[in-house]
Amino acid sequence: MISKKTLSNSPLKREETKPQVSPLRGDLVGSVVAAALSGGSDYADIFIENTRISSMVLQDSAVSQAQQVCLYGAGIRAVQGAETGYAYTMDLSEEALMKAARSLTPAVSPAPSKGGRLQDPAKVNGGTALSWQFTSPLEGTGEAIQSLPPAQVRQLLLQVEEKAHALDASVIKVKAYVSQRMQEVQFAGSDGTAFHDFRPRTSLSVSIVMERGGQTQMGYATRMMQMGAEFFTDALMEEVVSEAIQRTDFLFTASQIEGGEMPVVMAAGSSGILLHEAIGHAFEADFIRTGDSIFTGQLGKQICNPSISIVDDGTLPNDAGMLRFDDEGIPGQRTVLVENGRLNSFLYDRISAKHFGVEPTGNGRRESFRCTPIPRMRSTYMLPGEAKEEDIIRSVKRGIYAQSFTNGQVQIGAGDFTFFMKTGYLIEDGKLTRPLRDLNIIGNGPEALRRISMVGDNLRIDHSASMCGKEGQKVAVSQGLPTVLIDKLIVG
Amino acid sequence: MVNGQSIIYHAEQEILKLPAKLDYKLVLLENHEDNIILRDGKVEKMLRATSLSLAINLYLDGRDGFFYTNDLRPESVSTFIREAFETTRLLEPDETRTLADPDRYYKGGGPDLQNFDASLSEIAPKEKIQLLQETASEVEGTDKRIISMQTRYADRQHQAHYLISNGFDGHEQSSYCTLTSIISVEGEGGQHPMDGWGESRLFFHQMPRRGVAPTALKRTLQKIGQRPALSGRYRMILESPCAGNFLQPLLAAMNGQALQQRTSFLAGKLGQQVVSPIVNILDDPLIPGTRGASLFDYDGVATQRRELFTEGRLMTYFIDTPMSKKLGMAPTTQGTHHLIMEQGAKSKEELMADSSRAILVTDFNGGNCDPVTGNFSYGIEGFLIENGIITQPVSGMNITGNMLDVWQRLSQTCNDADPWETELIPTLAFEDVAFSGC
Repeated sequence: MISKKTLSNSPLKREETKPQVSPLRGDLVGSVVAAALSGGSDYADIFIENTRISSMVLQDSAVSQAQQVCLYGAGIRAVQGAETGYAYTMDLSEEALMKAARSLTPAVSPAPSKGGRLQDPAKVNGGTALSWQFTSPLEGTGEAIQSLPPAQVRQLLLQVEEKAHALDASVIKVKAYVSQRMQEVQFAGSDGTAFHDFRPRTSLSVSIVMERGGQTQMGYATRMMQMGAEFFTDALMEEVVSEAIQRTDFLFTASQIEGGEMPVVMAAGSSGILLHEAIGHAFEADFIRTGDSIFTGQLGKQICNPSISIVDDGTLPNDAGMLRFDDEGIPGQRTVLVENGRLNSFLYDRISAKHFGVEPTGNGRRESFRCTPIPRMRSTYMLPGEAKEEDIIRSVKRGIYAQSFTNGQVQIGAGDFTFFMKTGYLIEDGKLTRPLRDLNIIGNGPEALRRISMVGDNLRIDHSASMCGKEGQKVAVSQGLPTVLIDKLIVG
Repeated sequence: MVNGQSIIYHAEQEILKLPAKLDYKLVLLENHEDNIILRDGKVEKMLRATSLSLAINLYLDGRDGFFYTNDLRPESVSTFIREAFETTRLLEPDETRTLADPDRYYKGGGPDLQNFDASLSEIAPKEKIQLLQETASEVEGTDKRIISMQTRYADRQHQAHYLISNGFDGHEQSSYCTLTSIISVEGEGGQHPMDGWGESRLFFHQMPRRGVAPTALKRTLQKIGQRPALSGRYRMILESPCAGNFLQPLLAAMNGQALQQRTSFLAGKLGQQVVSPIVNILDDPLIPGTRGASLFDYDGVATQRRELFTEGRLMTYFIDTPMSKKLGMAPTTQGTHHLIMEQGAKSKEELMADSSRAILVTDFNGGNCDPVTGNFSYGIEGFLIENGIITQPVSGMNITGNMLDVWQRLSQTCNDADPWETELIPTLAFEDVAFSGC
């Protein structure tokens, strides 16, 4: 886990985040939502966003590049069953919001049980008068979210380069990148749900090029958390720089192997990509609603070894996948997907939850106001078992120890998933032997779950910068795993 | 011209008020998009939106900051520019980070690129929904194994107005429409094979009215019974729609930034034969009516026809102005616009019939390529071909090797590149490629 200690003896100053969007007026919310509902939809909401992203890059020993991005706008949605009409605008005037809301009416079929235009904007939920109370989770906590001013970011990036060169003389290039994002969100739904939240997200990426004996290798390490300036600690910098150097160093001696089917030991931590690709996406309830997922119809069934329990968690403090409220107003929560080997729950947004007659699980997420919310993961991890990692490795005659990863993907219907192992080892007679690199590992989700035969006691949540893509939308996630043994996967 | 042009001139005035003389590049972007998804005969999702945003590069004595905002209220733009200036001032000077030489800017006189459908945003959604319904109706009810069918229409009008302080004022526009059908079916062992097919055009009236959904269904049904084939070395027939993906690591390795950062496996190989001698690839941004056609690049520099590979020799790198100065090389362009690979005479079917032991790769499933070494490992799916005939759908297999080595193994190119894509790469045959399966 990452140390939360702030930079010691540092003269760093922090800039406090102030609300940028004028608070939504209850009457305006009522008018907009009522207009969105006027075609006969059974639910409508408005999502207003003001996001600021600032980043700086160190390259060629100088901090000579900076970026600032401002995303500002509102998305308005009308839902009837599984049908969604969506419009967004970058003009937050009452006139523009109302125009966007009214444009939705041809998009959804009129609800047979309703119909007609609602005249009273305050009565949009079956005629019940609503008063939107905007919950501000941070209000009253004394927790002002602060960002690190550009001058201090520049100083920090120069320290990263200094550390890298001090740690290994063969470092010839250092590229470091700091990104600080603050998303301010106001949300109101026609069921009376409302919140106003600030979501910080800060990341550090370090990429290293090393040269030895005429050979060049490149490696990198990243961290991303929902934190402000307190993200930047001496320990974090040290950890990321050291990890980037270790990974690069490893590549000089590592090689690919001739592939085939073999046992794979997934190291604790970033191996959680296995869960993300092998089951996570196929548990997203939009794929269950359409029948596309290979896990359709499996709810309540035993799908793997009873020693396995898997959760998708929106409550881990400061985690990239943490949500106080999801992007459709559902409170953040922890969802048990697999409990003692039994499929316990899928990941529901409002639409899929209504379809199945269950409560949403707080997984409705969107990249920005330009996008509709869809079921997405948050932090997905397996609960620890009892085995010791050394015993798991010792049990393998010939196989792979997979240590770090770059990317993965899945085919929802077939359940085939892959993830790309950047570094790892060959296991021979129960021992780690030859360093390996650049191998794609491929398997089938339900099969891979069934083939997990040992679960370690060393769960670690990985806080590398992980962005998950679906339908062209990227959201921040994390994942974790204790060391596990999968009896058979296809290795590159 | 682009709507909201006053915004760009307001931004320029705000920059001129700053307490230092700066160079700048302003790009006002206007996009209109329609996205409609049809499922089970009903509109499942419909999005119609127009967006305006402003991208700003400030250059202050070798300091270069990039700024982007879609909050275009005049007072917000003014504040944003003042903050951008303060951030730029904090940077360390890098004398290579300048605007392009104005002599290289596009100066007019280029052809009408015929790549903008001005009526696209005016076409009523119901016409687009009708196209979706016609598409879906071709397969609805035709096969009991269909679990779900999603038919998706998307279009986009793009316009950009450029204003660059050392002498460029330009406007560009383009459009495209896509129609896609994705189908899942009942497979074997509880699997739900899924595949799709899509077609893109520049103008709405060019959109195909038939064939998209039937092609998607055919491709999906062919996947039933997928399983890994035996590990071994096979001829790899890489189908046209995904062949372009296999070229991307080579294009990335031609980027000036990768060369300068010492992370390119093509460093020092300019003029050398690096891939099979049958590879001839050029970038031609000036062909009217093609996707990617453009008279100038993001720096305002005039585009030109450019050879990338000629008889397997590497003919150019992608060098922008800063990289030109860092590397001491002549500037070229930032990347490709409309890439064309020389095609052969055979069809994909003829090539398959000529193959005694091959795997037809129809899609990649994950994987990656190390940019420094070119070593790759990709998941694949497709079909096993024995004695010229498809004998088994395959999935759950990987291909592993090195980019330069595998591209030397390219033996044949087919004649089936899709002329409506930005990269026209036909089906390709590579000999003796390592596949791992069961």
